[in-house]
Amino acid sequence: MVAKVRETGISQLRRGVLEFCVLALLRDGERYSYELVRSLGDADGLVTSEGTLYPLLGRLRREGVVDTTWRESPSGPPRRYYHLTPDGQAALDGFGAEWTRFRDSVDALLRNGAFR
Amino acid sequence: MTTDTLHPVAAKYLERLRRAARGLPPDRRRELLVEIEGHLSEAIDPSASEAQALTVLDKLGEPEAIIAAETPEPDELPTGRGTKEWAAIILLLLGGFIVGVGWIAGLVLLWTSCAWTTRDKWIGTLLVPGGLATGLLIGLIAIGAPTKKLCRAIDGGVPHCTNAASQSTPILGVVVFALLVLAPIATSVYLARRAAPEP
Repeated sequence: MVAKVRETGISQLRRGVLEFCVLALLRDGERYSYELVRSLGDADGLVTSEGTLYPLLGRLRREGVVDTTWRESPSGPPRRYYHLTPDGQAALDGFGAEWTRFRDSVDALLRNGAFR
Repeated sequence: MTTDTLHPVAAKYLERLRRAARGLPPDRRRELLVEIEGHLSEAIDPSASEAQALTVLDKLGEPEAIIAAETPEPDELPTGRGTKEWAAIILLLLGGFIVGVGWIAGLVLLWTSCAWTTRDKWIGTLLVPGGLATGLLIGLIAIGAPTKKLCRAIDGGVPHCTNAASQSTPILGVVVFALLVLAPIATSVYLARRAAPEP
């Protein structure tokens, strides 16, 4: 039971942070779904099931932080390219600042058993 | 792009996903299947070995996990019932009393809403067509019919009625009547609980 609670905590943390990882991947330009999913999937400890990223991409689109364009691919079916909207850029900037504070506090606590 | 060009292992996986996705709203289901099919066709070459294909599928995760990620969280649900959804629920229950037209309007709202899955919409449609009005109408006919039959006007006298209920208390009729009244109410509660957040 306790193990389950911990596991839920980690997966919630992951889920909360993942959407900003998507936004960060788009910071330097557009990428298509498969590219995004593979980049996130290859990162260590970030994603347990690549397939669950597709629903996340859909949600970000509906929330208006990303926008998409279909383009022909040199091989195979057309690809859906994602890019940041101004809202998405603002969300990413906001997260960047919050994350640094959050990470520093938790790191200090884990390292020293206290916040300083 | 068709499933024919997919690796057999990938095609089987996509079929599992398609079945698992039945409960999703149609537009979400279609979109998700297109994305996953694109992933499979890009990640698994049709000539790849079965082991290579299975490795890709392992990373992709179980279809059920993907569907669960697409399905709204239960604690998000209460915010999902907008004016339209409440109107649909109320019209389906009581709209039958507005010359039946109200129920039809409720039906249109139900089927055009994104808040319910196709299965929920069928439940809302079939339990019970016409809503409460149907139950009450059938109930009135059932109670009224045998009583009328036994009313006889005696020549020049007062019409004489025998009590039909004493002859054959229609237990079955009462049960059916109760079900026809309870079913639409239960359906309304069900639809209200199942309504997903507005997209």
